[in-house]
Amino acid sequence: MDLLSVAAPFTPELILLAAALLVFLLDVLGVRRLEALGAIGPAATGLAFVLVLADLGFSPLAGLRTLGAGSIDQVPDVGSATLYAFSSLGLVFQALFLVAAFLVSLASLSRPSRERGAAIFFGLLLLATLGMLLVAIASDLIFLLLAIELTSISTYILVGYTRRDTRSLEAAMKFYIIGALSSTLSFFGASLLFGAYGSTNLFAIRAVAGSVGYPVLALLGYGFLLAGLAFKTTLVPFHAWAVDVYDGAPSDVSAFLAGGSKKIGVFALFLVFIGPVLFVRVGGGSNPFVGAPFDIGPVMQVTLAAVAILTMTVGNILALLQREMKRMLAYSSISQAGYMLIGITIGTSPALAGATLQVLAHVLMKGGAFLVVAAVAGLGVGPLIDDWRGLGSRRPALSVAFALMLLSLAGVPLTIGFVSKFVLFSAAVQAEGFFVWLAIAGLLNSALSVFYYARVLKTVFFDPAPPLPSAPTIADAATPPLRAGGIGYARAAAIGIIAVVIVGLGIYPQPVLGAIQSAAAHFVNVGA
Amino acid sequence: MLPLLSLILATLLFGTVATFLAGAKARWAALGTSVAFLAEVGFLFLSYPGWPGYNGALVPGFSDQESYAWIHLSWMQVNYTVGVDGISLVLILLTAILQLATVVYSWTEAKRPAAYFGLVTLTCLGSFGVFVALDVLLFFLFWEAVLVPMFFLIGFWGGPRRRYAALKFFVYTHVASIVMLVGLLALVFYSGSTSFDFASIYAAARGLSPVVQVFLFLPLLFGFAVKFPVVPFHTWLPDAHVEAPTGGSVLLAGILLKLGGYGLIRWAVEVLPIGFSHVRPIIFFLAFLSILWGSVLALSQRDLKRMVAYSSINHMGIVLLAIGLGSSLGLLAAVLLMFAHGIVSALLFMSAGSVHHTFGTRDIPAVGGITPTTPTLSTMMMAGSLASLGLPALISFPAEFIALLATWDGLGYLVLLPLAVLVVTAAFYLWMMQRMLFGPARGIPADAHDIPSHEGLAMGLLVAMAVLFGILPGLLVNVIANSPVKGFPGT
Repeated sequence: MDLLSVAAPFTPELILLAAALLVFLLDVLGVRRLEALGAIGPAATGLAFVLVLADLGFSPLAGLRTLGAGSIDQVPDVGSATLYAFSSLGLVFQALFLVAAFLVSLASLSRPSRERGAAIFFGLLLLATLGMLLVAIASDLIFLLLAIELTSISTYILVGYTRRDTRSLEAAMKFYIIGALSSTLSFFGASLLFGAYGSTNLFAIRAVAGSVGYPVLALLGYGFLLAGLAFKTTLVPFHAWAVDVYDGAPSDVSAFLAGGSKKIGVFALFLVFIGPVLFVRVGGGSNPFVGAPFDIGPVMQVTLAAVAILTMTVGNILALLQREMKRMLAYSSISQAGYMLIGITIGTSPALAGATLQVLAHVLMKGGAFLVVAAVAGLGVGPLIDDWRGLGSRRPALSVAFALMLLSLAGVPLTIGFVSKFVLFSAAVQAEGFFVWLAIAGLLNSALSVFYYARVLKTVFFDPAPPLPSAPTIADAATPPLRAGGIGYARAAAIGIIAVVIVGLGIYPQPVLGAIQSAAAHFVNVGA
Repeated sequence: MLPLLSLILATLLFGTVATFLAGAKARWAALGTSVAFLAEVGFLFLSYPGWPGYNGALVPGFSDQESYAWIHLSWMQVNYTVGVDGISLVLILLTAILQLATVVYSWTEAKRPAAYFGLVTLTCLGSFGVFVALDVLLFFLFWEAVLVPMFFLIGFWGGPRRRYAALKFFVYTHVASIVMLVGLLALVFYSGSTSFDFASIYAAARGLSPVVQVFLFLPLLFGFAVKFPVVPFHTWLPDAHVEAPTGGSVLLAGILLKLGGYGLIRWAVEVLPIGFSHVRPIIFFLAFLSILWGSVLALSQRDLKRMVAYSSINHMGIVLLAIGLGSSLGLLAAVLLMFAHGIVSALLFMSAGSVHHTFGTRDIPAVGGITPTTPTLSTMMMAGSLASLGLPALISFPAEFIALLATWDGLGYLVLLPLAVLVVTAAFYLWMMQRMLFGPARGIPADAHDIPSHEGLAMGLLVAMAVLFGILPGLLVNVIANSPVKGFPGT
């Protein structure tokens, strides 16, 4: 077996690694211009995205496949205990992660070119994305947690990379401490699972759990693992850090955190919980919980359901109370994580497809919203929602794009946010019984969320612009108190792409939905 | 065959976009759209297979049906499916007539005309979509598409308390539509149909047990009852009506209230006949409550517009009663009543609006003897009031007559209750006319003059329709009666 054929399946990952190293190398060589370093970001993530699409079987790109069709969605021999396995759902998530990284790095090309730290920003962004891609192919707990660690450590530094802003530094510190705690919890959980089952391989755990059931040790292990991953996914009650971090970080980084890196937690939950725990239920015919000596399925499902409802509700209620735009978006991001958890709780393939689509929608809506916040902050608008008054008439295109993102977050028809919620809730209703209540809780929550999104829209479009701070001369009065100049072509392009995709997939989601559906079906049938 | 329904949708969509972008010429764009809409609907109406003399044969299903795949997954198929039968056709005709009348009536709207006419067109687009959609998701989509423009119409162009009224309208109807959506999704999944199409849900729902049918019927009933509106879910209506601009009131009373009635017939009663038959006592109770309470409230109003708004509750109560009868005669009455109420209430809301413009108040005791000053307005108001109290040769008469006949058929002497209420309402309209139109002049400003010609034209159009269909109700009855009504027991 030559090196090339071993490395070939990892081409997207290797591209990102090479790009990250190139950025740091150029920095050492004295290339400091943001445009030069930054161009590597969208180029590498875009290329990797195309390769992942090819691996997913997207036919026009068939020539670019680096992964044999036979090596996807296969259960490896349990004895071999591989560290990684390619699943089509994992590839879908890789594609989503790459979309997030591409859009954020594209928009960041419009950061002020005199800004220092461009190499740190783009290099770490690429490294974090590499970690995310590795999460999506993990089949072993240690591999999974190390991949999460790679992303986490990169993002800790990203949050504070400007080094001047004390708010960002404080956020980075908070993020680091909480992140370290959550990693400790996860690794402790993994070690307990190793004690219970004698392996950290997810396939092996599933096979052993199928025969020996779930001893108390395993229960504890899953509990700790859930707590650790809940921090990463911002599930209530492990959510409090997220608001301060998203608020304190530069908005482009917040876009990456909320739109991108947070979703590794979702996929990790897929891997850990759909595979070994719920798989018994899904594959087991009519009564899912018969067969295992000690069923933690129901306990786990009730726990997950409670966390899902709590996360949606707490996130929404706190979002209602916010006066700052970024904090409102951060709380809304927490509540959206609750919707994704609904899919994991139900664990059927329709529900997983719904959750995955919700992840895609969230990448676009929330990532896009933070990118707009960064753009608006660059125009000299303050952090409060009230500071956005009258933006609708001054920056109509930007405001309409922002409105589309908020409408999509609220789940208004003809946006991707509606389609994802529709698929998710219909999957819940289809699963029947107890799960219908999850759908109802989700619906009530989306009704609640309409209020704070509508309030922002009212502020942006209906409220009159604030008076100028100093007594203006007549000439000044004609020009709005916004900083002159645009938001940058690259950022405008990123925001424009997001707005078009939100509406495009809202009107005709079939191509993406079909791919996600078959990926989810494979995932549930094969297990982790 | 010509994809006529998609063509109409495309016309309305194009018209809406064009109107929004037309700036100062928006009213012309809106007028063009509504004339094209009315012409296409006229063609649709005359080419409907149920039309007597067209071919005389009953339609086996929905006419002009089109279906294209939209979202196809292993566990559900959502399609773009549209089609009409006699029930939806009559309501579409009503929508087209009222859109034209509204645009003409609001011709001189000065506050952001492009947005105003665009929203009016969008409301009619959504309503048309609701009437033709034969797929759950498509139906819901159009249903929501009606709410949003109406919210803005009330909130932007309304009276002094418009913000409160718009918010109340939005909250009530939004909560109702969420409950309705849950009901519809539950209907799809419990019936075991993977397709969201009306036809397959209809077929699959036959197999549901009575208990399940009742449980599925209740959320749908709630969702549609708020839209009706039925007492005790009616409190959004007076606020919304009174604060809305006249054009908004016309669309609200004329079209939006009909969405509730149509939805109840199409998506609840036809699909879940057994659940319907068990829930009928609740429907009768709500209907009688609305009829009585609506007329009591109408009687106690001094504000002309508020009085018309409450009489809408009363009239829609009779519609609910007719639907509840569950006979084909009752259904015919319900659809006819909805058409009649759409025309007549629009006429009355326009009169109230014109009274307000001309005399600066809508207080009934404050103004009197206006006929010599404003003969046109006076004539239109009289026509509207007489139509509302059910004068023969005007559109309400055949509708109410059939409704009372059907009630007698179904409930016997209970018919005396709606009959008595109708008499009281008639008396009130006569008294209102006597005070406002005739007698000594009171509260007339010196500079008052008759209404502008575009207002007269719009009201004239509606009066013409009331007379045309009042003398020839068969034009509508034949179409309705020849629709493939499903699910009505004992017909």
